[in-house]
Amino acid sequence: MCRERISRSRSGTVETVAFTSLRLKRRFDTEAWIEFGRGPLFRLCFALLVLGLIRILALTWAGIFDVYRHSPDKILPWKEITKKTLAWLIPVRKLWTARPVYSAISFLFHLGLILTPLFLASHNLLWQKGVGFSLPSLPQRVANILTLLVVGAALSIFFGRVLYPAARAISRAQDYLWPLLLAVPFATGYVASNPVISPRTYELMMLLHVYAGDLILVMIPFTKLAHCVLAPLSQLVTHLAWKFPAGAGDRVAETLGYAAMPTWLPQARLRARPEAPNPEQGQVIQK
Amino acid sequence: MDRVRRLKLLLWMPVGLGFAVTVDRFFFGLGAATHLSDATPWGLWIGFDVMSGVALAAGGFVLTATVYIFRLERFHSIVRPAVLTAFLGYVAVVAGLLFDLGLPWHIWHLIIYWNPHSPLFEVGWCVMLYLTVLTLEFFPVPAEDVSSLARVRRFLVKMRIPLVILGIALSTLHQSSLGSLFLIMPYRLYPLWYSPILPVLFFISAIALGLMMAIFESHFTAYFYRRKPETAVLASLASAARWVLILYLVVRFSDLAARGQLHDLVGSAWQVKMFWFEIVVAGLLPVVLFSISKFNRRPGWQWGTAAVGVGGIVLDRVNVGGLIDLSRGAALYLPSWQEIVTSLAIVAGAVLVFLFIIEHFRVWEERPVDPKADPKRLPELNPVGETWLGAPVIAARIKYSLAFVLAAALAFSFLANPKVEATGIVPVPAHRARGDVGKLPGISSRVSFNSSLTPSPSPASGRGGTAKRWVRAKRQKATAIPAGVLYLDGDLTGWGVTFYHQREVERNGGEKSCAICHHMNMPHDQNSGCYECHRDMYQPTDAFRHNWHASRSGANLACIQCHEAGYPRTSAQVKPCTDCHKDMIPPGATIQVSSENLVDASGEIRRLITPGSVVKINTYTAVSYVDAMHELCVGCHAQVAEREKKPEVAQCAECHKGKLNYSDTVNLLYQRTAVAGRRVVMPPPPASPGGAAMKP
Repeated sequence: MCRERISRSRSGTVETVAFTSLRLKRRFDTEAWIEFGRGPLFRLCFALLVLGLIRILALTWAGIFDVYRHSPDKILPWKEITKKTLAWLIPVRKLWTARPVYSAISFLFHLGLILTPLFLASHNLLWQKGVGFSLPSLPQRVANILTLLVVGAALSIFFGRVLYPAARAISRAQDYLWPLLLAVPFATGYVASNPVISPRTYELMMLLHVYAGDLILVMIPFTKLAHCVLAPLSQLVTHLAWKFPAGAGDRVAETLGYAAMPTWLPQARLRARPEAPNPEQGQVIQK
Repeated sequence: MDRVRRLKLLLWMPVGLGFAVTVDRFFFGLGAATHLSDATPWGLWIGFDVMSGVALAAGGFVLTATVYIFRLERFHSIVRPAVLTAFLGYVAVVAGLLFDLGLPWHIWHLIIYWNPHSPLFEVGWCVMLYLTVLTLEFFPVPAEDVSSLARVRRFLVKMRIPLVILGIALSTLHQSSLGSLFLIMPYRLYPLWYSPILPVLFFISAIALGLMMAIFESHFTAYFYRRKPETAVLASLASAARWVLILYLVVRFSDLAARGQLHDLVGSAWQVKMFWFEIVVAGLLPVVLFSISKFNRRPGWQWGTAAVGVGGIVLDRVNVGGLIDLSRGAALYLPSWQEIVTSLAIVAGAVLVFLFIIEHFRVWEERPVDPKADPKRLPELNPVGETWLGAPVIAARIKYSLAFVLAAALAFSFLANPKVEATGIVPVPAHRARGDVGKLPGISSRVSFNSSLTPSPSPASGRGGTAKRWVRAKRQKATAIPAGVLYLDGDLTGWGVTFYHQREVERNGGEKSCAICHHMNMPHDQNSGCYECHRDMYQPTDAFRHNWHASRSGANLACIQCHEAGYPRTSAQVKPCTDCHKDMIPPGATIQVSSENLVDASGEIRRLITPGSVVKINTYTAVSYVDAMHELCVGCHAQVAEREKKPEVAQCAECHKGKLNYSDTVNLLYQRTAVAGRRVVMPPPPASPGGAAMKP
């Protein structure tokens, strides 16, 4: 403090700024930490992401094969599974079914979440610099819009969870956390790449951006975010689970009073709930 | 099985590390992954993976010989694991070799392209053939479980004796030929290790190592599978190993004595200490411990002694393979962490495969069974201790894959970040020839001094006024390169050709001779040097200098003086050069070469172009400086050589006489340093601000 005052009195503010930044640099070298975050730490997280996803996918397949091998009832409605899987993967029709607003927001959220990090021009520059090849780049304006959409959608999803009692009832702590955490690199990245907003915070924003991004990458294969590779298997796993042990699904349906409706019937027909359970009818359909 | 499970978890980690390094090595090459160099082309991978791997596999041929040739049936229970160890050892050798070979996809070359003079050729063939023999020897074991392979199995069992004999022959060749590899380098290998009977020493130590490896491996599996160790059988193996080791020590020391190297046994060099350490660990200690029956009856001691002996002989291989030459070469070699990790990963992978085969096939009389894997057993749920991850198989794959992934990611994060993109061909700008063409007969009015050699007023060349310094530098240079002589080293490295310019002018007819070598079709061409168009040593360049035309210090033209306004400024929308340069031959034109300039006084044709022929000037792309010089000089020289019957005139050494260190002006010295980054004895950099003008 003492030296600061002296330098100010001697030659104005310029030296003071230089002096303070020098002192800050000694305390916490933001540049170096950012470099670490997108150098070795990024490689660690990215390798964990890729290998971890391959691992979880392989383990899931291995589990599926185990269950299928040990199940005495090997008849699965493959056509139905394929149709449902594709319907969920390409959510054009699913978008306007039960909760159109939520579905639309979720769709936009996913769109930005996948497209922006992969096709952002600045990220592609990093790829080019690091490994020598890169993906095609999004125009900056499109990337900006997508980023804002992701942040907005994340906030909407978060408040949707908080405000709706039905959603709150089935939410865990991590379910509240995820949309917020996912929005962090997008919000900080937006601020950092648009210095008009706040030119002074560039380093801080970049630091948060890089480390939040790394954290998310490393969390993907070990948390529910792994649905990015496991989602296509969910229909298969669900149907398989009804078969193990054999006839389990029918017994559950019987207990619930749905004996007439075999478990693999399409959703639309299940919704037409029969007035009274009729076990005979169920057997007829099964034949 | 708890011990095995823990061991496997531990082994999956180096395999994961090795996976990352493998990606690194095969994508970015040896340079990225190793500390190997041209001075040290063989490192840890050869010393440990290949040479020790082969030695460790010696148990296979020793025990097959014992059981199937000498009919010592009590060793029958350990012959299958020994063959399996040998088989996996050789597979590990091949894996290690693939890492070490610069072009591993050329590994099949030695099958087609024979070089029977090379010990490596013998080694390569032996590895291939013995691996085949080992595969055939071991194949009956996994084939037991497959009924459709019964006929193959029966045939192989019948063929066992020939296979065993073949295996012994190949091993004998192979173990010793690894030693022969080093016979070639008596001055590189330390005298305590180098010996003309190195192949014999390698063979004897391999037998001892094979026996000890069988002991080690038997105890190893007994410990991890909680089986009763076969101490009595192994004790007799140990006593055999002891005798072989004694023979090894005797041969080794007699060899030293016969070669008169005994005085080397005393000394302060670290190699001497290493030698004694190796002798104690690989020889004396196992001999002593195996001889004391009290120790030899106890499984723990047996195991420990075998481990010590195995480690000692592996150390011997690593020493011969390069460790002992660490400080003898020009460059210090220490293996990179990637090399160490890869070696560990290969060993770990081999052990994992070994354990897998032991658990799934009848290597032992009965397969080890995991009590927890019983399908009728109810799961043990221990809510306090650990999470129940499922049945043992499922829990195993969850844990092992996690260990693998974590280790691999960790290794990826440590890997440096090499760029795969090439930097392209490094441009090497060509510079004006050094020297002074002097006063040329008959053309004094047109040719001035070689202007780049006119030294800039440089404060570094001494004290005094500007004019004085200029004269001094001029005089210095004039004594250095005689007038009328040029030294052509376009990249200014000193490796060049002395060109007697004045002599050539005189020979070829004065003023008329210019066009023999010089194009004279550049605008205002009077004394343009070759370097002005052939601007790069090794790459073609465009004779048209765009930036010079646009520059204020050059032609000082505005863009629209050449490019049409309102159009993209490309080479397509540009007015032709001949609009300004009226005397220039435009690209695309054809010219008829007049005979006038091409024929000298004696009527001999000097250029390769026949007079009167039609030549098309395609582009103004100039070939590289080196190509231009060679075409120009060698063309004439070849003609002269033929005409005068002097073949040496056209040979390289006629002109390329080596490196000449002409004393240069300070200016050129700076240029040279900047260009080549070579070590040039530099005058101290100028202290005065005038020095800025001297930078190239």
